[in-house]
Amino acid sequence: MSLDDHAPSIGILANPAAGRDIRRLVAQASVFPIAEKRNMITRLFSSLGMLGVGTVYMMSDGNGIADRIRHALETPPPSDQIWPKVVFLDMPIEDRAVDTLVAAEKMVAHGVGGIIVLGGDGTHRLVASRAGDVPITALSTGTNNVFPAMREASIAGLAAGLVATGQVPVGDCAVRNKVLRVDVNGVESDLALVDLCTSTELWIGSRALWRAEGLDQLFLSFAEADAIGLSSIGGLIRPVTRAAEGGLWLNLADPASAPIIVTAPLAPGLMIDIGVEAVQDLHPGEAISLRAERGVVALDGEREIEFSQTDKLAVRLEWDGPLTLDISKVMTYAAEHELLHRVNAN
Amino acid sequence: MPLSKDELLKAYRMMKTIREFEERLHVEFATGEIPGFVHLYAGEEASATGFCMHLDDRDKIASNHRGHGHSIGKGCDVDAMMAEIYGRGNGLCGGKGGSMHIADLSKGMMGANGIVGGGSPLACGAALAAKQLGTGGVAISFFGDGASNQGTSMESLNLASVWNLPCIFVVENNGYAEATSSKYSVACDDAADRASAFNMPGVVVDGHDFFAVYEAAGEAVKRAREGKGPTLIECKLNRYYGHFEGDAQTYRGKDEVKNLRATIDCLDRFRAKVTSADLLSEAELDVIDGEVAALIDGSVEKAKAAPMPAPAELLTDVYISY
Repeated sequence: MSLDDHAPSIGILANPAAGRDIRRLVAQASVFPIAEKRNMITRLFSSLGMLGVGTVYMMSDGNGIADRIRHALETPPPSDQIWPKVVFLDMPIEDRAVDTLVAAEKMVAHGVGGIIVLGGDGTHRLVASRAGDVPITALSTGTNNVFPAMREASIAGLAAGLVATGQVPVGDCAVRNKVLRVDVNGVESDLALVDLCTSTELWIGSRALWRAEGLDQLFLSFAEADAIGLSSIGGLIRPVTRAAEGGLWLNLADPASAPIIVTAPLAPGLMIDIGVEAVQDLHPGEAISLRAERGVVALDGEREIEFSQTDKLAVRLEWDGPLTLDISKVMTYAAEHELLHRVNAN
Repeated sequence: MPLSKDELLKAYRMMKTIREFEERLHVEFATGEIPGFVHLYAGEEASATGFCMHLDDRDKIASNHRGHGHSIGKGCDVDAMMAEIYGRGNGLCGGKGGSMHIADLSKGMMGANGIVGGGSPLACGAALAAKQLGTGGVAISFFGDGASNQGTSMESLNLASVWNLPCIFVVENNGYAEATSSKYSVACDDAADRASAFNMPGVVVDGHDFFAVYEAAGEAVKRAREGKGPTLIECKLNRYYGHFEGDAQTYRGKDEVKNLRATIDCLDRFRAKVTSADLLSEAELDVIDGEVAALIDGSVEKAKAAPMPAPAELLTDVYISY
C-alpha cells in the first residue's frame, strides 16, 4: 500500500561506494556494508511513510543498494507500516561520483522536500554542490566523517519527514553551512564542506590522505577538537564552530622544524604528528592563493584535483553552502508542538 | 614515496609490453597458428604493473588463466613466453604448457592456472615458505571475480589470516566471470568486503589507475613484509576482449568495449598524467612504444621460426619426482 502521488516527496541518496577506501589498509577504518545501508533506508521508509511522505526518489546504481531496496519492496512492510512509493531515478549509471551529482540534480528537479544522504564527507560534498536550498539530512556511513553525524535512521527519517510534510517549518530547524570553494585558473572548480588540503603528492592515486609527508596548506570551514581527519589539526589548536563566521587556514611543515606539533587522528586508529608553521583566521570571501607549485588538492580528505606549475589555485570561504536539518531541533519542535503524541480519547 | 623517472619509465614499459603482447596475440590467434586457448589481459595492465613494480626476486606470484600480464610483470622473458604460446620447443615451459600453464619458477612466477581459483592455495604455500625461511618475501595471488566465489579462495583467505601469512590477494574484477556479470554472481557488494570476515583489510581501488593500484599495492606489500599479515585488494577494471579469443561476447552491451577503449584506458591515463606533470615527455614514451613494438614483432617472428618440441620430449617435463 502506498501513499498518493500528490503527497510530499523526499530524496534518499546512499553512496554504494562509501567505506571501502585504502584507510581500511593503512588505518583501522571500519567497513560499512551495503546491507546495513539497506536496513537504514528501510527504517527511513517507515518514518517517512508514517508522516505522509508519498514518494521517495532514489539514485539508481549498479552496485547493490538499488537491487536490495527493490528486493525489500517485494515483501510487505512490517507491522502494517505504510511505506512511500519508491521511484528509482531514470539516469545513466557510471558507478562513479557523477552518478551522485546527477541523482541530486534530478531529485531537486522533482521538487523533493529534502534529501537524506547516507555517506561520508565526500558524498555529502557532492550532494551539497547540487542541492541548492533543498535541506539535507546528513547521515554518516563513511570513514573520516565530520560533516554528517552517526544518527539512528528512524529519527533522521522522522525529522526529514516532519519538515518535508510542512509540520515543522524548515526555517526554524535548518542551518546554512559554510563551504570552501576552490578556483582553478580563475574558474570555480569544486568545493569542500570541512577541509581543503594541498599536498605535494602528485597523483590522486588511492584518494585518501593519511601521511604527514607532503601536507602543505590546510583550509578549514570549521574545526572541532573532537573531530577525526584533517580538520582535527586545526581543532586541536584553535577550535572553530560550524556557526562561527570565519574558518581557519594553516601552513603545515615538517614536524622536525615546525614551531607547533599536533598529534592528530588523521584516520581511525591513526595518530600522526603534524608540524604546523602558522595558523590564521580565514575570513569569508577572502581569496587565498595556494603556495604549492604543483601537487594535489584534497577536498574533505580525498585527493580530487591534480595541478601543475602552470595552474593558479585560490581558496575562498563562503556562506553559501547547503542547508542541513538540525535533527535535534526538529524533534524538539515536534515535542513542543505535540506533533507525535496525542491524548487518548478513550 | 614518489616514483623516480626511471621507475615511471619502467612502469610504462611494463604496461605497454603487456598491451602490445596481447594486441598482437589477438591478431595472431585469428590465423589459427596458435594451439589451445588464449585469454587476453588487455585493459587490465595497471593492475599487474601496479603490484609487480613492488616485487623483487624474493617474491612469488600465482596467476590465473589470464596470466600473460602477470608473467610479463614478474619478469618472464617475452620471447620465451611467445614461443610457449605458439607451442614451440624453446618456449618457457618447453612448449607444453601454452598460455594457460605458462610459468617460470626462476622468476617467481608460479604459473598461470587452468583451474579457476587454483592460484590462491599456491600463493599461501609460497607465503608460508617465505615466512618459515625468513626471506622477507611476499606472495601474491591474482584472480578474478569468478574465482573470488570459489571455495579455494575462501579457504586461502582463511589460512592466510590464521597463519598470518605475507600473502596478498588481488581480485581483478573485470565485471564478468566468463559471461556472467559479477553484479549477479558475487553475493556481497564488493569482493573486498569478504576480507573483514577473514580478519584482514580489504580495499577497493580503481584498477585503471596505475597510481592508485601502485599506492595500495605498496601499502599491502609493506604490511606483508613487516609481518603484519595478508590483505585483500579488489581492482575494479575492464577487459578489452572476450573471456577467451573467439568469445562472441553476446553478454556485453553494444559498443561497450569501444566506449571503454575510448574513455578508460590505463595507458592513456598514465601518459596524460606524467606528461602534464612534466615528469616524462611524449617523446620519451614514444621511444618506448617503438622499442616495445619491435620486441613483440621479434618475439612473434622468432616463435614462428622455432621448432616444435621433438616427439622424444612427449613425456618429459610432465611429471616431477620429489
